[in-house]
Amino acid sequence: MDYKVNNISYKYTKDGEEVLKNVSFSIEKGKVTAIVGPSGCGKSTLVQILSQVIPKLISNGVLEGSFDVPKDTFVSVVSQTPENQLFGYGVEDAIAFGLENIGMSQKEIVERMEYVLNLLNLQYLRKRSVDNLSGGQRQSVCIASVLAMKPDILIMDEPVSSLDPNGKKMVQDILGELSGSGNTIVLVDNNLVWSAEVVDHVVGLLDGEVVFDGSKDEFFRNFELQKKLGVILPQEVELYRALSKQFPDIDLLYTVEEAFAQLRGRVEKKETLRKISSEENESIIQVQNLVKQFNDGFTALSQVNAELPKGKVIAVLGQNGSGKTTFVKHLNGLYKPTGGDVLYKGTSILGKTVAQISKNIILVFQHPEHMLFEETVEKELTFCARMQNVPFSEKRITEVLEKYHLAGEKQTFPLNLSMGKKHMLTILSVLFSSADVIILDEPTLGMDGFLIEELEKMIADLKAAGKTVIMISHEIPLVFRVSDYAVILNKGQKIFEGTKESLVEREDIFDEINIMMPPVVQLSKKLGFDEVVFQVDDFIKKVSAQKKA
Amino acid sequence: MDYLKYVDGDSLLHKLDPRAKFIFFIVMAVLTSLVKSGVALLFLLSFFVGMWSVCKIQKYIWVLFKKLKVLLIFIFLLWFILGLFEQPKVGNGPVFFKTMISLWGNQKLLVCFDWYDIYKGLVYSLRIFLMIASFYTVLLTTNFSEIILGLQKWKISYALAFGIGLVFQIIPMIITELKAIMEAQSSRGLEIEACKWTTKIKNYVTFSLPLLFRVISKGQAISLAMHYYQLNFSVHRTAYKKIKASKYDAYFILANAAAIAITIILRMQFYIAV
Repeated sequence: MDYKVNNISYKYTKDGEEVLKNVSFSIEKGKVTAIVGPSGCGKSTLVQILSQVIPKLISNGVLEGSFDVPKDTFVSVVSQTPENQLFGYGVEDAIAFGLENIGMSQKEIVERMEYVLNLLNLQYLRKRSVDNLSGGQRQSVCIASVLAMKPDILIMDEPVSSLDPNGKKMVQDILGELSGSGNTIVLVDNNLVWSAEVVDHVVGLLDGEVVFDGSKDEFFRNFELQKKLGVILPQEVELYRALSKQFPDIDLLYTVEEAFAQLRGRVEKKETLRKISSEENESIIQVQNLVKQFNDGFTALSQVNAELPKGKVIAVLGQNGSGKTTFVKHLNGLYKPTGGDVLYKGTSILGKTVAQISKNIILVFQHPEHMLFEETVEKELTFCARMQNVPFSEKRITEVLEKYHLAGEKQTFPLNLSMGKKHMLTILSVLFSSADVIILDEPTLGMDGFLIEELEKMIADLKAAGKTVIMISHEIPLVFRVSDYAVILNKGQKIFEGTKESLVEREDIFDEINIMMPPVVQLSKKLGFDEVVFQVDDFIKKVSAQKKA
Repeated sequence: MDYLKYVDGDSLLHKLDPRAKFIFFIVMAVLTSLVKSGVALLFLLSFFVGMWSVCKIQKYIWVLFKKLKVLLIFIFLLWFILGLFEQPKVGNGPVFFKTMISLWGNQKLLVCFDWYDIYKGLVYSLRIFLMIASFYTVLLTTNFSEIILGLQKWKISYALAFGIGLVFQIIPMIITELKAIMEAQSSRGLEIEACKWTTKIKNYVTFSLPLLFRVISKGQAISLAMHYYQLNFSVHRTAYKKIKASKYDAYFILANAAAIAITIILRMQFYIAV
């Protein structure tokens, strides 16, 4: 029997707006159901209703309809921030916590612990402390701790949103294991890039209403709906969307191998040598022999040299712990180097305060809540300008708010915005500063497809205005779409610096840092294009140009 | 460097039953409240330093000392300044400066700078430092899961023990958040380094609002997680781990008993009223 969401409507207050409107769908037993939709569509409210937070903990709203499940059905949730969910110092303590709460005997706890640690291949972590785990490991332990309680339904709420590629892979593998062993999973995430292969069933929510309820294949064939929901799709599916216009007989594809198999007979291989641009760039920031050793003796950066070109979009890549954040925090003076120097336009920034440096080099943090504190969106937008005594006009404020669809929120309290919009607001405030180097740390965190599109346009506008953008991001396809230049760090050492065209020729680097090249890059190399492309549109143009007669 | 949080390790202190460490803190808190002899306190400090060195946590205590520097200087100055207006209670030490200041009418005020003022300031600072350091020693070597188990063994209700343990889990998170907020705001142009102290105080208002919201949202997330894990304080809980005293606890208690005895003897031998 399936679990039925039956005509659920919900208002947070009696006089408030309905955030969910007659929502009905089934959660199939032993399958993975993905609930997708843009920011503010009601996904989080639905999670709270399915997990009984509404009405057990939040009881002042108006709930209609029902979640029809057998008596004593246990629903548990894995949230996007495992550090707020894990109770206990060690991994074993954290896994045992829920089992102790339900009064299980020590013998049974030991059995359950062995079961989940074996199922998820986490035995090697059992004696570690939660604090010392990487993001992916922590999320895996979080899943293990919930799974140990044998929930009938396991809800995963954006479980990989803040993880690096290694962490995503780890959670992806676990999701595969769970799906294979017949667990009922509800995945609430607008990003299907990492989960497309294991999802069975998709429910689309828009403005609190169900606008799609069907299989994964049906969803990935419905291009109009994907766009409407702002779902972040695997690049392979984007390719399918674009290719199907040229080749109506092409089958839905989810992997590079599937795409290659379908395209190799249709595209002519060009044997010409790929050109790599070797233009000389004027550098705006020079990093000289940078060394950072923390008080506990850990060396985070070791003799790093870099020449960051002016007016370009520069990606800083590497796995968590590679030194990326430490590197960029030296560029704006937050960290003082143990050795070496950082020069901005030929002059050392050492000795200046962070606020002084921010007039030239500004850093936007990845968690917007660390930045927002003004009472209105308008004031927040002009924060940097006021701090730096940069003049701004009312007209400019209106222009920016309108361009980025925040005009209606001008007087809103910034912390009431959705996560993606909060993030966008902190990035927009930089537009009013005097800085000509802008550093963005994980700028897509919490953003749906619409906001990511706007972010891409903004980065292009900044570049067109002659500004230099330095970006740390784990969204590899996005990085390759927008960037010109890359600095790659691994274990505190720079292992690559150069244009993205030269980077894609270095497969050894990708192996070393364990990051996959974007599917379009892999395919354009496999199919023997005369140049590597980084965007789906360019890929389609190449396919047309090299199409077999 | 980690601050105000448990530090993973395998030292003698880490191996102890948490109850032995709780007793250590209580006894040391009482002892440093009662003992006002400089020599006895110096002995106690040397015992502590030895214990920290054996357990390799001295660098964390040094971080604590640096954080407490301002407080300790304040305490020293407070007692030192109060002492300037008193005759030395012990008359055999050097007096560096002595004068009478005439006030209104026939009122006169004695100002006497003598060795005893310095001694008194140092003794009070040392007592406060030892008291805090004994608590910090427990905090550095006892993780919050052990704190909860230890308190439960003392028949403290799980709800209270869990609450206390949670505080120790959350404090390091709040410190990390505050640091991130300060860095984020200064990155956006807020001057927090080269500014007047009045501006620095004003800046804390800027930091406190985001911090408050982060703490509230963390609190909400934790309460949701408690619901997901079916935590219900009215239902009997079982325990996966058990704690029990070992030979290490016996060694630790013996060493402390000896140190306390020597401290008391020194206090009786070298007592100077402060």
